[in-house]
Amino acid sequence: MIYFSEHELQFLFLQRYTESLYSHFKHHIIFNAMVSHLFFIASTLIAFGLLTYSFLRIFKIIKLLRKPYSISNFGERVKRLFTIAIAQEKILRFPLIGLMHALVFWGFLMITFGSGEMVLDGIIGTPFDNNPLNDRLFKFFGTVYNVLIAGGDIFAYTIVILVGAFLVRRIFMHIKRFTGVELRHRDHKDAAIALSLILLLMVSLAGMNIAYNAGNENVFGVYPISSQLTGIFEGMQTHTVHTLELVFWWTHILLIFFFANYLPYSKHFHVFMSLPNVYLSRTEPLSKMTNMESVTGEVKLMLDPSLPEPQSKGDEPERFGMKDVEDGTWKYYLDSLTCTQCGRCTSVCPANQTGKKLSPRKVVLDYRRRMEEKMSGLLKEGKKFDDKKSLLGDYTTAEELWACTTCNACAQECPVSIDQPSMILEMRRYIFMEQSAAPSLLNSMCTNIENNGAPWQYSAADRGKWADNLTLNDEAKTPVKVPLMSQIAAAGKNIDILFWVGSASSYDDRAKKISRDFAKILHHAKINFAILGSEESDSGDNAKRAGNEFLFQMQALTNIEVLNSYGIKKIVTCDPHDFNTLKNEYPELGGIYELIHHTQYIDELINLDLIKVTNSTFSGKTITYHDPCYLGRGNGEYNAPRNILKSTSCTLTEMHRNKSRALCCGAGGTQMFKESEPGTKEVYELRTEDALEVQPNIIATACPLCMTMLTDGIKMKELTGEVQILDIAEITVKALGI
Amino acid sequence: MSVLIYIDNKDGLLKKSAFELASYGFEIAKNTNVDTLAVTFGEIADEQVKLLGKYGVKKVIKIINPQLLGFSAQAYSSVISEVALKESAKIVLFGNNFDGRAFSPRVAVKLNAGLAPAVVKLPSSYTPFIVKKRAFSGKAFADIELSSEIKVLTLNQNSFHIVENPVDTTVETFAGTVPAGAYAVKPIEVTINSEKLSVTDAEILVSGGRGLKGPENWGMLEELAGILGAATCCSRPVSDLGWRPHYEHVGQTGKVVAPNLYIALGISGAIQHLAGVNGSKVMVAVNTDVEAPIFEAADYGIVGDVFDVVPKLNQALKKFKESN
Amino acid sequence: MKVLICIGHVPDTTSKIRFTDNASKFDKSDIQFIIGPYEELALTRLLDIKDAGTDLHITAVNVGPVETEATLRKALAMGADEAVRVNAEPLDALFTAKQIAEVYKKGTYDFIVTGKESIDYNGGQVDGMIAEILGIPSIPSASKFEIMGSVAKAEREIDGGKEVVEAAFPFVIAAQKGFAIDPRIPGMRGIMAARKKEILVFEPSEQANITKIIHHYLPEAKSACKKVAADNVEELVRLLHEEAKVI
Repeated sequence: MIYFSEHELQFLFLQRYTESLYSHFKHHIIFNAMVSHLFFIASTLIAFGLLTYSFLRIFKIIKLLRKPYSISNFGERVKRLFTIAIAQEKILRFPLIGLMHALVFWGFLMITFGSGEMVLDGIIGTPFDNNPLNDRLFKFFGTVYNVLIAGGDIFAYTIVILVGAFLVRRIFMHIKRFTGVELRHRDHKDAAIALSLILLLMVSLAGMNIAYNAGNENVFGVYPISSQLTGIFEGMQTHTVHTLELVFWWTHILLIFFFANYLPYSKHFHVFMSLPNVYLSRTEPLSKMTNMESVTGEVKLMLDPSLPEPQSKGDEPERFGMKDVEDGTWKYYLDSLTCTQCGRCTSVCPANQTGKKLSPRKVVLDYRRRMEEKMSGLLKEGKKFDDKKSLLGDYTTAEELWACTTCNACAQECPVSIDQPSMILEMRRYIFMEQSAAPSLLNSMCTNIENNGAPWQYSAADRGKWADNLTLNDEAKTPVKVPLMSQIAAAGKNIDILFWVGSASSYDDRAKKISRDFAKILHHAKINFAILGSEESDSGDNAKRAGNEFLFQMQALTNIEVLNSYGIKKIVTCDPHDFNTLKNEYPELGGIYELIHHTQYIDELINLDLIKVTNSTFSGKTITYHDPCYLGRGNGEYNAPRNILKSTSCTLTEMHRNKSRALCCGAGGTQMFKESEPGTKEVYELRTEDALEVQPNIIATACPLCMTMLTDGIKMKELTGEVQILDIAEITVKALGI
Repeated sequence: MSVLIYIDNKDGLLKKSAFELASYGFEIAKNTNVDTLAVTFGEIADEQVKLLGKYGVKKVIKIINPQLLGFSAQAYSSVISEVALKESAKIVLFGNNFDGRAFSPRVAVKLNAGLAPAVVKLPSSYTPFIVKKRAFSGKAFADIELSSEIKVLTLNQNSFHIVENPVDTTVETFAGTVPAGAYAVKPIEVTINSEKLSVTDAEILVSGGRGLKGPENWGMLEELAGILGAATCCSRPVSDLGWRPHYEHVGQTGKVVAPNLYIALGISGAIQHLAGVNGSKVMVAVNTDVEAPIFEAADYGIVGDVFDVVPKLNQALKKFKESN
Repeated sequence: MKVLICIGHVPDTTSKIRFTDNASKFDKSDIQFIIGPYEELALTRLLDIKDAGTDLHITAVNVGPVETEATLRKALAMGADEAVRVNAEPLDALFTAKQIAEVYKKGTYDFIVTGKESIDYNGGQVDGMIAEILGIPSIPSASKFEIMGSVAKAEREIDGGKEVVEAAFPFVIAAQKGFAIDPRIPGMRGIMAARKKEILVFEPSEQANITKIIHHYLPEAKSACKKVAADNVEELVRLLHEEAKVI
C-alpha cells in the first residue's frame, strides 16, 4: 500500500491530468502552432472588435453632447494626471484603504506592460512555436525590462492579497460607504465579479510566471517571487510544465480580453476611464460655476432694449439647464462612466450626513443609468428621441437637488475628479429657468434681488448704512470715514482698493459688525479705500446657485458696469461667496478684477507691518477656525486666516474635519434662503458639534453666512455667551485694540 | 345739503368704527353748516339709532328692500347713491373697510364725485376741498384736492377721536331701486373665522423665540394672543427644535409676514428672522439682552425677562380691553 | 375666454419714498418699479388657470407713460398673451378707470381683473369704478378665484370672515392676498417670448381729472426703539394704543 498525502494526491492528479491532456492535444496544440496562432489572432480581433464597438458607442454619445469647456491648460492637466491619477493623491486621503488601492493601481500599470507584450507575442506567434525558450518581444529593453517584469511579478502576488482583502471587506464587513439607496443588488454583484476577475487574472499570471520559471533554464525578465515558487511543479516532466504554462497563458490572456470587454458595462470602468477623466476635468476653482452664454444676449437686451436683436445662430439651447442626459456635457457622461461607486462623495456630503435624500453618488449613477436606458434611442434618433422619461424627475428628484449646499466637498473628495455639483446645478437651472418650479422662498429671494438688489426686502438706498457713525473704540471715539466711490470719483481722486461689502454684510445686523470692524482695520492701516454704497447691488451668487442664471447675469452686468465705470482694479471683500463670484464668475462677463478676501488682506497687512497685533486679548484663549467652503475648498485659501489667528497668541486648535475636509455650515447654495429638506438634523447643528468637540472659547470664521449658521448652532446648543463666534476681522480689531 | 355717512351694521348692531365715522362726519357737517345723515342696510334697533344720535347723526335712513339678497357692491352702491341724491349730500362718507372700499368707487362714479380714499384727518380746507390721505402703504401721506361738486371720502380706521354731539335722531325707511343684473354675482355662503387665526392673516402676531426656554412655556403667549385677537408664531430655532409646529415659523425661511403689530418675545433677531417680519407696522420686543439686534428693528422695547414681563403685560392688556 | 388684467406700475416695496417739486410729485429717480404685488398674484392665478387647461387669453393693460412698458414686459414674460398701454399719466382714479373701460369695450373680454389696491396711492378704487362705468358686477377683495365653465367662483374677504360668491360673466374682480400663493417667476422662455410680443399703444379718451394730489408728507422718521421699563407695562399698552394706534 502506498499512502499519499492530500497534497501529493492533488499533485499527482494534476500531473496525470495535464499529461493526459498533453498526450491528447499534443497533436493539436503543440504541433499545430498555426491553429493556435490563428485562434489567438481571432480572439484578439473579436476582443478588440467588441471593445471598439463599445467605445464607438460611447464616442458617438460624446459627440452628441455639449462641450463643457475648452481643453486648454495642458500643463495643469498633465500635473493633475500625475498627482491625482498616477500618484493617487485623492485616494490617499483615506490612508490605509487608499494605499491598498494605490498598490493595486500601480501594480496594474506595471502588469499592463507585460500584458501588452503578451498580446504582441501572441500576434507574432512566439508562444505557440514550441520553442522552450519562448522568446519575448520586449526583452531588448534590458534592465528596464527586468525591472518592469519583476515589478509585475511582485505586484501580481500583492494584488492577489489586496483584492482578496477587498472582496472580504466588501462581502463580510459592513462598510457604510458601500450602502445607500442608489446601490442595488446588481451593483454589489458587479463589484464582486470585477474583483473576482482581477483575482483570477493575477492568479493566472502568477501561475504562468511560476511555470515559466519552472520549465525553462533561461528566462527573460526577473521574477523575484515566482522563481522562488517553482518547487510546486517539481517532479513534473518539462513538457507538462510547458503545457501548464500555456494553459495559464491562455487563461490569463482570455481573461484580459473578457475583462476588458466587461468593463464598459461595469462600475469598474474606471480602470480605463480614470486617467482620461482626470486629465479632462475642470481646472477652474471648485466654486466657480459655469457661465451660460446663451443667457447673456437676453440679459443685455433686458438691460438695454435698444440693442439689436441677437442674431439667431441656431445654436440656441433646446433647453436651459439639464432635464435629461442629452442636455449634459460630455464631461458629465465621462464622469458617470468613471464613477466606481466608492461613495467618498456621499460620505462627506453635509446634506447626506444630516439625513437628506441627496447623495452625490446617486446623482452621478442616475446619469449613467439614464444614459444606459436612453443610449440606443439617442444613437438612433439623436437628441429628438423621447421616451417620455427624464433624468430629472424619474431618476434624480428636485428634493435631492435642492438639498445641495454647493460646498464642493464631494468634488474635492472624488479620486477621479468627478464634478457632481455641476450636474446638480445644471438641473437646478432647468427647474428654475424652464419649469419655474423652484421652492417659493427662492422665488421670493430672487424677486427681492431683482427689485431691491438684496436677497432680503431691504431698501437698496440703505446699503451703505452699516458705515454710519463708525468710530474707533478709543477714548476720543475717532470717527472712521468710509468714503463712497462716487465721492472719490467726483473729487477726481483714486483709491488703492475697493471694499465690496456684499448683501449679507450690508444688511445683516450681525454681519454689519464685521464690515464695521474691517473698515476700522483699513482705516487703521491708512489704506485708501472706498465702498460703492447704494451703487453696489447683490452679486447674484445666490441667484446663480438657485439656477436663475438670468438674474445672476443681470446683477453681474449691472455691477460690472458700475465697477468698470470707476476703473476698479482691486477689490477686497469679507464675503467668500461674493469673493468667489467676482473673482471667478464675473470675468467671463467682462468684469476682470484682482479679488482679495479680507483674511488675505489682513494677513498681508500684518506681513507688511502696516498693522501690528500687539496686545494679548487672546492669549490663553482656545480658538478653532471654521473654513468657509467658498474660501477654502472653493478657492484654496486655508492659511491666511490661520496665520492671523496664530499672530494673536491664541491657542489655535483644529476641528477633526478641517481645511479641504471642513464640513459646510449649511448656508451655501441658497440653503440660507429656503427651508431645509426633511432630514434628521440641520447641517449647522452638525458643524457646531464639530467645533464644540475641541472645546473652544471662540469659534472663528471668515464668512457672514457661516457666522449666521454657527450662531444658530450655538443658540441651539444653549451656549450663547459661553462660546463666542467671531469673524477674523473682529478678532483682528480686538487684537489691535482699535 | 348734507353729509351722508354709510354705516355698516352686523345683524342690526353697530361697531365702534360707526361712532368714529359719525364723529368725523359731524365735524365736517358742522364746519360746512349742513346736517349729518346716516344710511344703513336692513333693520336696526332703536337704541342703536340713538347711539348714532349721540355722535351727531340727525337722521338714519334704513334701506329695506326685499330685492336686496345679500351683499352686492353694485346694488348697495346704487341705493346709497339714490339716497345721496335724494338728500342732496355734498359729502358721502365711508369707513375704509371692506364695505367702504367696495361701495365708495361705485358711488363716486354714479355721483360724478371725486373720491379721497383712506383719509386720516379733517379736510384742511373746504374751498378748495383738500384732505390728507394715506399713501405708499403708510410710508407717506398726501393732500388730495377734490374739484367735483360731490365728494366721496373713506376714513382710515383709528384716525379720528370719537366725540359726543348729542342730537335728536329720526329714522326713515327707504327702499331704493336694485339695478337689474346686480346679482349676477351672488353670495353662496359666508364663513365666519372661527378657527385659529392663521399666521399670515392675523393683524397682530405674538412671536416666541428660544428665550422661552421650552414648549411648555407657550401658555402665556397664547393667553396674550387671545387677549389681542392675535395669532402665535415663532422663530426658526423654535420650530427646528420642534417646540412649535413648522407652520408657525416666521422669518425669511418661514412665512414672511406684515402685521400691524408684531410682538417678539425672547427673540434676538437674526437676519433671517428680521427679514421676514420687517414689514410689520409696529414692532415690540422683549428680550433680556440689551444688545440684541431685535431692538434695532423694534419700535418699542422692554429689556427684561419674558417670564416676568409677559404675565404683567397680559394683566395690563386685559384691563385695557375691559375699559375699551 | 378673454380676460383683461390691469397691471400697476408701482415703486418696489422697499423704496425710499421721496418727493420733488415742493413735495407735489413723487420722486421717481433711483426707484425700481415693479408690477403691483396684488396684480402679480392676480396674473399668476390666471396663468395657473390657463395652465390647468382653461382656454384663456390674457391681455395686460396699463395706463401710463412709455417707461411703464418695462413693467408690462414683465407681465408678458410671466405669460400674459398681449399687452395694451394707454398712453397717459394716470393721475386720477376715475380717469384711469375710464381708460380701462374703453379698452374693455374695444375688445371682447369676458372679465376684468385688478389688484386690490395700488401700493403707491392705495386708492383701491379702480376696480369698482370700472365696474360702475361699465355697469357690471364686481367682486372686491377676492382671495380665491376659479373658473367653472360658464361661471366663476370666488371667495372674498369680509369683516371677520369670508364669503363665497358665484359670478356670471362679465364682472370685475379685485385680487388680494391669497388669490395665488406665490407670484410666478418668469422662466427663460417667457422672457424670450416677451421680447417678441407686441405692446399695443392706445391714446386716452377724454375724461377730466376731478382729483389731484397736491402735496406729500413723510411721516416722522422712525425713531430709535422706545424703551419701556420692565415694571411699567401699562406704559407700553398706552403707547400701543395712543401713539402707535395698533390696539
